[in-house]
Amino acid sequence: MKVELTLFGQLADIAGRTKFQLQDIPDTDTLQKKIHEMYPEMANMSYSIAVNKKTIHENTVFEGDANVALLPPFSGG
Amino acid sequence: MSERKIKNIFSQGPIPATFIAESIQKHSSQTAIGGHSIFLGQVRADETEQGKVKAIDYTAFEEMALEKMHQIREEIFAKYPITCMHVHHSLGQVQAGEICLFVFSSSAHRKAAIDSCNEIVERIKAELPIWGKEIMENDSHQWKVNK
Repeated sequence: MKVELTLFGQLADIAGRTKFQLQDIPDTDTLQKKIHEMYPEMANMSYSIAVNKKTIHENTVFEGDANVALLPPFSGG
Repeated sequence: MSERKIKNIFSQGPIPATFIAESIQKHSSQTAIGGHSIFLGQVRADETEQGKVKAIDYTAFEEMALEKMHQIREEIFAKYPITCMHVHHSLGQVQAGEICLFVFSSSAHRKAAIDSCNEIVERIKAELPIWGKEIMENDSHQWKVNK
């Protein structure tokens, strides 16, 4: 299962990039764990997760390849 | 559900005052309208611990923001008897004192225009995946937090 990850705002600053891929990730809980191992700073940050452009509120199992975005608190306007 | 198509709301850089004037002018042929309500967001030169804000650099998850804005548009039209609504938001750098958000709603009577405009602005700030990076005069930056 391939996950195409997109980061925004301060999350992209921390990672030093806006897009990357991860392999063999079955669900969003595993994805978060993996990301927090890679970037421990993110474990203490507030952000929401969108799977294929829809915000999720609980662990979500990927059905095939997925586009996942990590969204820090919004600050438009 | 509806036949209205997804509209783009984003444009690069500040929203010019002439664009706003032209938008108002375009409504003069729609004589069923009795009131317009307009909200203009302007970049504020906040004094922060990092320094004084000279500009905000906006980024967005554009596709998701446009889908969400479409949903908000549908809900606003369902809730208020408005004739039309227009939303424009900047991307990229907008200097302090320049306009970054333009919301424009129109109706036969003032209350629907005023109330819908207010609700659209609140929902844009709360629900659209847009981020503002405040650029300071000393070129440091911090990510804006909506209050």
